[in-house]
Amino acid sequence: MLQRFLDPAVLAGLSGLDLVAHTVVDGFIAGLHRSPDFGFSQEFAEYRAYNPGDDLRHVDWNVFARTERMYLKRYRGETNCQVTILLDASRSMKFGSHRIDKLEYTRFLAACLAYMAGLQRDAAGLIVFDDEVRNFVVPSTRQGQLARLLHAIDKVQVGVRTDYSRPFAHLRQFLHRRGLIVLLSDFWEQPEEIIKTIAPLRYHGNELVLFHVLDPEEIRPKLRDPVLLEDLESGATLEVSPDYATHEYPGKMDAHVEDLRTRAQGAGLDYFLIDTSRPLDNALREYLAIRKGRM
Amino acid sequence: MGFFAPWFLAGAVAVGLPIWLHLLKRHKTDPKLFPSLMFFEYREVSSMKHRRLEHLLLFALRAAMLILLALLFASPFIRRSNAAPDGKKITVVAIDRSFSMRTGDRFARAKDEALKVLANLRPGDQAQVIALGGTVQALTQIITDAAELRAAVAALQPGDSRGSFGELARYLRTLSEGQKLPLEVHLASDLQKSGMPPGFTDLRLDAGTTLILHSVGGTVPNWTVENVVAPRRIYDPKRVRMQATIAGFGTPAAKRTVTLVLNSRVSQTKTVDVPENGRAPVEFVGLDAPYGFSRGEVRIDSADMLPGDDHFFFSVERADPRKVLFLDDGRHPRAELYFRAALDSSGDGAFQMETLRPEVASAATLSNYAFIVLSDVGSLPSGFNDALERYVTTGGSVLVALGPAAAVLPRVPVLDEAIQTSNYAGREGDRFLSVTDLDAGHPAMRSVDRFSGVKFYQTIHVTSSKSRVVAKLNDQTPLVLERSIGEGKVLAFTSTFDNVSNDLPIHAAWVPFVAQAALYLGGGGAEQPVNLPVDSYVELRAVANTGNNSGAAAEVLDPDGKRVLSFAEAVKANNFALNREGFFEIKTASGRRSVIAAHADRRESDLAPIPKETLDLWKGTGMLDPATAGAASGGDPADPKPWGLWPYILLLLLGVAVAESVVASGYLRPAIQERVGLKKEAA
Repeated sequence: MLQRFLDPAVLAGLSGLDLVAHTVVDGFIAGLHRSPDFGFSQEFAEYRAYNPGDDLRHVDWNVFARTERMYLKRYRGETNCQVTILLDASRSMKFGSHRIDKLEYTRFLAACLAYMAGLQRDAAGLIVFDDEVRNFVVPSTRQGQLARLLHAIDKVQVGVRTDYSRPFAHLRQFLHRRGLIVLLSDFWEQPEEIIKTIAPLRYHGNELVLFHVLDPEEIRPKLRDPVLLEDLESGATLEVSPDYATHEYPGKMDAHVEDLRTRAQGAGLDYFLIDTSRPLDNALREYLAIRKGRM
Repeated sequence: MGFFAPWFLAGAVAVGLPIWLHLLKRHKTDPKLFPSLMFFEYREVSSMKHRRLEHLLLFALRAAMLILLALLFASPFIRRSNAAPDGKKITVVAIDRSFSMRTGDRFARAKDEALKVLANLRPGDQAQVIALGGTVQALTQIITDAAELRAAVAALQPGDSRGSFGELARYLRTLSEGQKLPLEVHLASDLQKSGMPPGFTDLRLDAGTTLILHSVGGTVPNWTVENVVAPRRIYDPKRVRMQATIAGFGTPAAKRTVTLVLNSRVSQTKTVDVPENGRAPVEFVGLDAPYGFSRGEVRIDSADMLPGDDHFFFSVERADPRKVLFLDDGRHPRAELYFRAALDSSGDGAFQMETLRPEVASAATLSNYAFIVLSDVGSLPSGFNDALERYVTTGGSVLVALGPAAAVLPRVPVLDEAIQTSNYAGREGDRFLSVTDLDAGHPAMRSVDRFSGVKFYQTIHVTSSKSRVVAKLNDQTPLVLERSIGEGKVLAFTSTFDNVSNDLPIHAAWVPFVAQAALYLGGGGAEQPVNLPVDSYVELRAVANTGNNSGAAAEVLDPDGKRVLSFAEAVKANNFALNREGFFEIKTASGRRSVIAAHADRRESDLAPIPKETLDLWKGTGMLDPATAGAASGGDPADPKPWGLWPYILLLLLGVAVAESVVASGYLRPAIQERVGLKKEAA
């Protein structure tokens, strides 16, 4: 029943990103309890001796009562991880053949990831980019971080064209601490260039996950008549026949995806293709699998 | 195969329209946004695809519809022989029995010609005998009995009607459409030129109709009494003036003796010089007619071959002057003076005016009066008002003048229109009103010269919801109104008859106005004329009559004194056709009696025949090829006849339209399903 809340078309009807994230993640997590494959809870991990400066709220007072020693109770969830979400806001992300476009879908996905990271007390941050870095929310676990992230995601505006080189070169200056980098983009670039540009982000021990967000129409275009296509980013036009779009284009697109997947895996990156017509839980599963591996 | 309207074939060019639209639609596709053109390539096939038609079956059906539509308008035909396979035909023998056939032995010769045609018929041949006059009369059905056909010809008598070849052609066209066999028409006639219709197209014969003419006429000099103008009623025999016109057709200049006969007694004789092929008027002064209806006749001594038109019947009625009741309350003493003077000076003294005060008028017998004048009398005694209404309903007439006394009344007496205001044209305002709109065709408005120069200072505004406005003032208020009530009529004048409220009585229009209104209201004006040509209609009862006499019987006695109408016709017939010359005694449903003189149409007196070229053209209209029309006196019934194909094309067009609907719905169904799917998703 809750699965229907993960339908992007349904989510588009919700009023705010916080509500979207809450609906998706809570529904998703509730579903996970029935799943033998994944376990998720704030499980107890260990006790650690109190050091001056530690937050007194985490002191286990029961142990102190018995032993008169102060220990802090630590949970698995508190094994902090810095999660940085890179959100591509280039103009091509505005394409959509059904009720929500790729940017909208990506915003939902980013919001869900941020919410989920918040639940796990991960320090979540956000970088919005097109050919420049348009917005940057520093990863943090502070109170109100989720609200800041959701606000930033909500304010994402469509930019111009995608250029990974300049924003990623800039990003390397900020990403010193090891963590998880989630890149949400449609990757309309040559796979070689993409991997070449983003692979250096792994140098500091970061784990990089590529979410390749594509509209179903981009994967399998449905043209009945010859049309004049206009490139959303460059503005170039090209007359395209249905015959080509049906028979030749899918092959090239599959080759592109496969090439990107191969090169990403070769560079030690995780790659996931996401179809915007499908529910968000697939992406969340991937995220959780990776997050679990890092704990 | 040919086309009746081949220029409509140009409409087939419209089939290019869907092709053009198709290609235009493809080429004018708006750009569709796509994230990236990385993997797209320009292919020639894309452009060529634009020029390829899709849904070929649907396109073919639509193109076929357009072509069939153009073909339908072009009205194609094929030539198909009209002749029956075994050479059968219908022989139509038409005998002209119009008035001109009384000339010499024309009618006898025409019957001989008809009998000869019938004698040549083979056993089993179908034939019909018809008589041509003002209308075409079928004397027999289409039969094979030669004896019956001959009997019909032998029994035929000449008539007094005017022959019309247009009517004959119309009858033959109707017959041709109803019969599957070709027609062979034999017309025995004097082929009088005056029998031609106004337009030659009225003579058109259908293809397959062969016209064979048997001319029994020729140019013959003929004198005739062309017209007689006599009064309908006479009151003073010494003051009667009558005019007659003597005409000659194809005649030399000659002296003719003109005799006026009244009631079979010669009254006057005159001699007149009739110019060559011309006309001469004759005037008779005085007509010593006895009281009642008299039957008159103007005769000439022509000694020509058509004696039937040497006399002209007319009817007059001698009567005492009719009384006119003038009701006046003494408020407008000069009104009576002016009205009486106008009535006495208008012509033949048909009316005698009697003046009464309203309060004593109740004792008067209203039916004794030709009409009644209410000269601004204000309110009437209630009993008298009811009597007036009864008087009008039974055929009486009232002339109402409105003035200051009427201004205080709510409604106009008898006319029953609401009185609104009294209008004074003072010095400070319009000063006076004048007549702007006037129905000059109204009998009461003849010779009034549109009341030009007449100034109206005071008028009464009345509504015109039930009445007809005959004249209007320049402020668009009615001046003269008329209303018919039952058998009678009411005429209202919204000003007075003296020279206080207007200066009409001192204008030249006054006498004609009073005279014509008196004639119209008192009889003699609007009644049907009593001297009419044969084939005219006499009204026996008003069509819209719903009065008490709707079931009353009318009566018609023909010149032989025989009753013409059956009982059913007497109580129902609205009119009666004068089918022969002579005097008809008529009693209408309303009880009015009159003697009507019917005379033959004088166009029949001109015996000039139709030119041969015109006759050849007429015969040619029934043949397929006009070029061969003049070559033969009779056409070949085996000539092919154009056979229109439009019904078949129309059926085919309907079939294609149905097929197009089915095919088009098949193409559209996926799109509909998609839309339904989207709606479901949205829900």
